[in-house]
Amino acid sequence: MADMILTQNFGLESLKTLKGYTALGGYRAAAKALKEMTPAQVLEEVKKSGLRGRGGAGFPAGLKWSFVPAKTDKRIYLCINADEGEPGTFKDRFIMSRNPHAVIEGAVITSYAVGIHTAYVYIRGEYETVARVLEEAIGEAYGGGYLGRGILGTDFFLELTLHRGAGSYICGEETALLDSLEGKRGWPRLKPPFPAVVGLFGSPTVINNVETMANIPAIILHGSDHFRQVGLPRDSGTRLFGVSGPVRKPGLYELPVGVSLRELIFEHAGGLKDGRTLKAVIPGGLSAPVLTAAEVDIALDLDSLARAGSMLGSAAVIVIDEETPILAVLKKVTGFFAHESCGQCTPCRLGTAWMDKVVTRMEEGHGERGDLDTLLRLAAGIKGRTLCPMGDAAALPVLALVQKFRPELEAGLT
Amino acid sequence: MSAAFSPDLLKKIEALAGRYPHKRAALLPVLHLVQKEFGFISPDAEQAVAGLLDIKPIQVREVVTFYTMFFRRPVGRFHIQVCTNLSCSLLGGEQLLAHLEEQLRLKPGETSPDGKFTLSSVECLGACEQSPCLMVNENLYGNLDKDRLAELLEGLN
Amino acid sequence: MVKFDLDDKVLEVAEGTTIFQAALQAGLSIPHFCYHPAFAPEGSCRMCLVEIEGLPKLELSCSTVVREGMKVKTRSEKVVEARRSVLEFLLAEHPLDCPICDKAGECKLQDYYEDYGLYQSAFAEFKEKREKKVPLGKTQVLDRERCVLCTRCTRFLDQVTRTGELGIFERGNRSEVGIYDQTPVDNNYSGCLSEICPVGAITDTDFRFKTRAWFLEPGDSICPHCGRGCNITIEHVPGFPRVPGSRRVYRIKSRPNAEVNGHWMCDVGRYNYAFLDTGRQERIMMKDRGWGVEPAWDSVIRFLAAQLTSLVSGEARGRVGVMASAHLTNEELFLMKRMFLQDMGIRKIFLIDPREGAPDGFLLTAERVPNTRGATEIGLKCGLPDLTGLAGGLDLLILFGTDLFERFEPDETKALLETVGIKVLFTSRQGPGNDAMDIVLPATPAAEKAGSFTNLKGRVQSFVPVRTACGEALAEWIVLVRLAVELKLDPGFYEGLTNVEDIRAALARDVLFFGPRS
Repeated sequence: MADMILTQNFGLESLKTLKGYTALGGYRAAAKALKEMTPAQVLEEVKKSGLRGRGGAGFPAGLKWSFVPAKTDKRIYLCINADEGEPGTFKDRFIMSRNPHAVIEGAVITSYAVGIHTAYVYIRGEYETVARVLEEAIGEAYGGGYLGRGILGTDFFLELTLHRGAGSYICGEETALLDSLEGKRGWPRLKPPFPAVVGLFGSPTVINNVETMANIPAIILHGSDHFRQVGLPRDSGTRLFGVSGPVRKPGLYELPVGVSLRELIFEHAGGLKDGRTLKAVIPGGLSAPVLTAAEVDIALDLDSLARAGSMLGSAAVIVIDEETPILAVLKKVTGFFAHESCGQCTPCRLGTAWMDKVVTRMEEGHGERGDLDTLLRLAAGIKGRTLCPMGDAAALPVLALVQKFRPELEAGLT
Repeated sequence: MSAAFSPDLLKKIEALAGRYPHKRAALLPVLHLVQKEFGFISPDAEQAVAGLLDIKPIQVREVVTFYTMFFRRPVGRFHIQVCTNLSCSLLGGEQLLAHLEEQLRLKPGETSPDGKFTLSSVECLGACEQSPCLMVNENLYGNLDKDRLAELLEGLN
Repeated sequence: MVKFDLDDKVLEVAEGTTIFQAALQAGLSIPHFCYHPAFAPEGSCRMCLVEIEGLPKLELSCSTVVREGMKVKTRSEKVVEARRSVLEFLLAEHPLDCPICDKAGECKLQDYYEDYGLYQSAFAEFKEKREKKVPLGKTQVLDRERCVLCTRCTRFLDQVTRTGELGIFERGNRSEVGIYDQTPVDNNYSGCLSEICPVGAITDTDFRFKTRAWFLEPGDSICPHCGRGCNITIEHVPGFPRVPGSRRVYRIKSRPNAEVNGHWMCDVGRYNYAFLDTGRQERIMMKDRGWGVEPAWDSVIRFLAAQLTSLVSGEARGRVGVMASAHLTNEELFLMKRMFLQDMGIRKIFLIDPREGAPDGFLLTAERVPNTRGATEIGLKCGLPDLTGLAGGLDLLILFGTDLFERFEPDETKALLETVGIKVLFTSRQGPGNDAMDIVLPATPAAEKAGSFTNLKGRVQSFVPVRTACGEALAEWIVLVRLAVELKLDPGFYEGLTNVEDIRAALARDVLFFGPRS
């Protein structure tokens, strides 16, 4: 389909090789940027495209790049966030395994625009086999003159290093990622200062998600206007929607931003399998507040979901069927965040543990009348009070599940 | 302590450290390397790594205990890590784990006496389109049911 | 300068001041755990959240810089609810240890709970069981159940002592503070940890279970153990009626002074206070003079005056020796110089060079006495007297402090003292040297007198008594003034010295260094 920016050649084995990638037009965007455009022009083009971050926060990429101080004598860094820990999300794994050079090319163009010569890909530790594919592609890129010194025969140079994490969801949060990359525990940092000013090793740093990076070449090659033809005015382009759960065709679907959730589940993913009925949908990874079956007529874009009290996040759509007890879903939420809490700040450290203890007790059959209100109160105590967004990620889903499925949850209490 | 590290390992560690303006940044990659070599991170290894990266042993241990992929005790030859997060559970992940517990006679976190298997329950592995899935060491296996699991276990010999 | 509104009061502060600092300047301490003035804002306890008009979420006062026109509320409903919430979270896993916890009475958790809590606990789960007596070194013990993970301890050891003995292991609610195997916290500032711990997680083995914070009377003073002159607070129990021996000092705490010791003090100063209560020389002691009656200060002073008069009238002033000490205050050293050197012409005045120790590169100096600089500025030279040279030439030797015994070999001192006619010792402590004396006069340590020390940087720091003197002890300056009056030395001058301030004023007139600073 003409709409597919990232995945159109995913089926081709050769896409991950330099030869295959260039044969399909790869690195032409980088050549255009480095040889025909100034860094400022590249940045402007990405800004005009309105490309919003694909990691979860949805912050406009070009705008983020422009926060790097224009005049600095410090080294500027690029970190590509390949930590992909949000449960339900697998898009970056696909991109890095099938189309690694798109990420590399995106990194080259981004670095050129911002004046970066050192870039790291922070990839979650569990993706060891994916890292091998990416490492191979990086090696080929160096060999082919697309990384290192004198890229594409110009005087632009870029060192790109792969860096593996070691099992920590919080390291997907940009400032925790920075600390982890510096060899420390993944404790998020206070903002301000923002990474664009004080980031990796105290220097200005740009952090972007893998999918965001992979979108850059097409924007430069075909122009921002072309990019904006797909999707919505305030949220352009396509997203890689991941659908999981009891659907007929779980998998990755590249669709224009704004596609309806109903369409995604029932047309593209084939609807629920084995004659099951829809009970609920989590639209953006486990941190996203749940939607009931009655709420699936909603556009999948950052703003629509935010207005509905949920979020698009990593566009990881988890489909829940009628047979699945909501209490089980609730337990997955509280268990996950209690396990992944970094422990730095009071509300998250104690609150996620407390919520999980309550829900575990409910699951074991010892739930009591007041427990649901306790959960609501705890979640409200965490929401908006923590050092990093993981507090909200832990609290909002609990609030939504309890509020929207209260009768079902109450039925199991004494 | 560093004496326990082979010249080849030392060279690799030096190369890793050289990729960053501060040696400490190489800690996670170095620990992966050391763990691959020895199977786990011992106190001796902590101290050796600390010395090589110009940091304190306590800083190494802080990192080893923070991240789930570093082990302070040896794990089995086959480390079976079963995802028990939402997407996998919706498609039988819990039953998969229960089945493995039965087959291997292990609870999550335990290692078999012959050192062959360690069973763990882990968070989302990022392969939800293949739920339910698990990893054996660094390899991912998805779309598992009882039969495919049996096949898999058989292959691990 | 920036103007902003704090709880409906307009304040003006320097640019770059945080809301927390601004509030503190106005006399309001916003509740906090992880914040400490010595460190950059940490922002992890979330207790200092305040409401800023126009912003949707509560913001940290510790790290938010004041902007012109900002309107801040530190006690609105939202803020109080947020504090209650943080407290509830902390107390959920906190053990009910107050009855056995040393920190009771000076615990931030208790204090804030009193202000914002007082509710029925809603925590119906099992609390985590953690280790309660983890030795961190020789002086500090960690109770992991009480720890609120404010990270003040780890940051102190990373940023101030730069020794980094403490780390945080695990993550989430399993996070715990700890040491690394064989590397305990045994640096010279270990005592600061229990001081900065806002709760009873880190406690001091020296203080453990000995008393309750609310029995302690605090008194400001200056540490007498080295030349740094760290500002301290001596906490003591004045004594309970009908409980003999209950009067004692229980601990020394640091007192912040940006120019001298920052927020800290070292273990040498912190843990050396037993001398204030044990082994005190409480009574005047005179070897058999046929007095028959218990000697009192008046009689002793008259006796000394008589001895001095007979000796200094002629050339026999060469047969009087005085050994001063850099433990003495500026005022006392000044009096000594005035009386003995100037007014009586006694030349044999020595200030014994105290034994040095290793400086620790931070606060602890090599010199282990508080007033060497003071003595130098007053004009009393430090050095070792030639004991053999002195032997046989002294009819009267007056010692201030026991530096002679600490600095020379016993046989050397014995050889000298055997030849001295009358030996007088001013000391606050009992000791083997005291027996060799003819007269032992109980003196007061710095904690029990008024005075001032000059630290090695030349900073004059004054202090007043923290408590009354022990037994019959009198400050040396009091005895010296009375002696001078008895001796009728420079009549108008000494009678006018009724208190320490008078002596200080005279010192300021006499010695340029102590004069008014322009």
